[in-house]
Amino acid sequence: MTDDQFDTFIAQALKRDAPHADDAAVERVLRRLQTLPRQHGSVWRLPAVLLDWQFTPAWPRMAALAGCLALGFAIGISGLDRPIDRISGASASAEGSGLGAVVFEPEPLTGARP
Amino acid sequence: MDDSDEALMARIARGDERAFRMLARRHLPAMLGLARRILGNAAEAEDVAQEAMLRVWTQAPRWQPLAALRTWLTRVVVNLCLDRKRKAAWVELEAAGEIVDTAPLAGEAAEATERERRLDAAIANLPARQRAAIVLSYREGMTNAQVAHVLNTTVSAVETLLVRGKQNLRRALADVIDGE
Repeated sequence: MTDDQFDTFIAQALKRDAPHADDAAVERVLRRLQTLPRQHGSVWRLPAVLLDWQFTPAWPRMAALAGCLALGFAIGISGLDRPIDRISGASASAEGSGLGAVVFEPEPLTGARP
Repeated sequence: MDDSDEALMARIARGDERAFRMLARRHLPAMLGLARRILGNAAEAEDVAQEAMLRVWTQAPRWQPLAALRTWLTRVVVNLCLDRKRKAAWVELEAAGEIVDTAPLAGEAAEATERERRLDAAIANLPARQRAAIVLSYREGMTNAQVAHVLNTTVSAVETLLVRGKQNLRRALADVIDGE
């Protein structure tokens, strides 16, 4: 038998398998794999998770966010978020006593300002 | 839906058991055949195939698609088989008995079967790494570079394993093949 014939003989002999026996064995192994253990997590997976996130802007949401920002800014500068009675009181005390009245707290007993 | 190995592994990494079973059904026959060829024992081969598939499940979140899944899986199975061979003594196929075939065999077919049985026995007596190299090269049709990757060695070492393995087989089968 030449080297080539010997190679062919080994390959043919090794490739022969009993297909029916394999099917039964596959089913047996699959049955044994019914309950699976906990998977091993990895810190290397974190970048992949971040890369999987969709950062493409959704324009209706962007418009809604910009609208909320503009509304919040307008409310903030117009003072609509403060109670009306506080608006008038704060401005009156600030006008009457100067900057000290705004910055420093009065003495709790005497009411004197520093 | 993409049913490639890589897509299934990505789903398995997210804990998809259905994808795992699909992948297992796809690769188990080949892995079982390979393990059986290296170990020479069907029950042990099933244990190895089960262990290899469990590793696919547990390691899926860490798996990087640097090489084909089949190559990685083959490497896992071969390493598990070699580990078992290191731990346990080899039981020859002859010792496991033979299933009696009641069908009438023609003389030529009977002779071929006898030669293959002798080859099985000769392969079973090879050192574990020579046997793995022979099986991967001739049964799986892998190139020497692929075998080297699976056995975690160099191409020249694989060539040496194959040459020595074939020399041992020729020596063991001398009375069978010299008659031709």
